[in-house]
Amino acid sequence: MATQLLPLELIDRCVGSRISVIMKGDKEFSGTLQGFDDFVNMVLEDVTEYDYSGAQTKLPKILLNGNNVCMLIPGGLPEGDEA
Amino acid sequence: MSAPAQTPNGAGDARDPSGFLSEIIGAPVTVKLNSGVVYKGELQSVDGYMNIALEQTKEVVDGKVRRTYGDAFVRGNNVMYISADS
Repeated sequence: MATQLLPLELIDRCVGSRISVIMKGDKEFSGTLQGFDDFVNMVLEDVTEYDYSGAQTKLPKILLNGNNVCMLIPGGLPEGDEA
Repeated sequence: MSAPAQTPNGAGDARDPSGFLSEIIGAPVTVKLNSGVVYKGELQSVDGYMNIALEQTKEVVDGKVRRTYGDAFVRGNNVMYISADS
């Protein structure tokens, strides 16, 4: 049987690298993934929060609730592509 | 296949959500709710639902302090993120 990569294993491979998190609704976060749990709650470092207007907020270290997470982009979005 | 999210040494690793939380207990934090309202205060405790108890809490709306509370409980379902203030 061919080995397949489970979704959470894909996230596990991103630990230590930059990711973009796209939330339900017009919000995005990008930061360095430190860790996560089975709910996809995530610890992110050196975070930039982008809101619907494109305004950016810098945050040193956060625990992001997985409840409103929609999509994760390993490596982050290209510069200027956010929000 | 084992659960990939679990670390071999279990909880307590500061990189994991539960480890991060135990690391920032007692520290000044910023809690942002899904509504956009921000609460800044000293983190007294958190549980697995992300229910939060804060001390010396400031309620910040649109960057302005609206109210202050000595003690405040925030129900976890409203929490978007908990940020450790640097």
